[in-house]
Amino acid sequence: MTSAPVFRRFAFAYSTAFALIYVIARAKGLALFTVYPSQGIILLGMHRSRDVADPVLDFLAPEMFWYGWTATAALGALVIGLIAALVRDRWSRRFWLGWVWVAPVLAMMACVYLTIPWFRR
Amino acid sequence: MATALLILHGLVAVALLGAITHQMLGAWAPSSPRPRSFFGRFRAVQPAGYANAIVGLYVGTSLLGAVIYLYFKVDIQPDLERDRHWHALGFLDLKEDFVAIGLGLLPAYWISWFRAFADERGRTASSLTTILGFIVWWSFLVGHVVNDIMGFGS
Repeated sequence: MTSAPVFRRFAFAYSTAFALIYVIARAKGLALFTVYPSQGIILLGMHRSRDVADPVLDFLAPEMFWYGWTATAALGALVIGLIAALVRDRWSRRFWLGWVWVAPVLAMMACVYLTIPWFRR
Repeated sequence: MATALLILHGLVAVALLGAITHQMLGAWAPSSPRPRSFFGRFRAVQPAGYANAIVGLYVGTSLLGAVIYLYFKVDIQPDLERDRHWHALGFLDLKEDFVAIGLGLLPAYWISWFRAFADERGRTASSLTTILGFIVWWSFLVGHVVNDIMGFGS
């Protein structure tokens, strides 16, 4: 039973942090790695094909950042979750539990904003 | 291979859609002990009993989708861009963002159904279930539209 509050703190901090870090990673281009599916290559960090090749040839080497953004968020949230698990319970009670569902809603709204360019083409 | 994975992805998604919808309605609008209507019986479930299955189905659906996404990026997206299906690609972008956020929510979702304090359980669990339910429904509908895009609206 003593591990339950610890895991609870970890889980709530992890989920809250994941949503916020994902949006930051998405907005700032902080992908842990970039996947090139047509070549079967994975490069550390965020790399755009158009930075090294003519943008017209972009379709030959499409890059994928989603896996990297998700990994960045998972790693960042893991660190914050572990820190929260170590914090004393009376300190964690100051944390408003509503953040665990408000943060993902805010993150989803931010993702809608970041997707607007698709709808202006 | 990609077609088989896509069909499997769709089947697992249907199971997830059913489970999360049962749980969402059971959490927000619990039925009377003896429901008389179809809608009443649909809501007459123990919401907590779905949590483990939903976590497993969500992770499974997401992993299958993540693999299919590789095929999509190489074989399908160039055709959609050539035909200027920008709205569909935007909705799909949102789907991948929402699914990732949903993956991050799973630990809090699971623990809010099983290990939360009694006073916080109802609202937190129901709220997280609703967010996951929205993500699952959004993903299901967008996935279907994009899958059928060459026929949809053309």
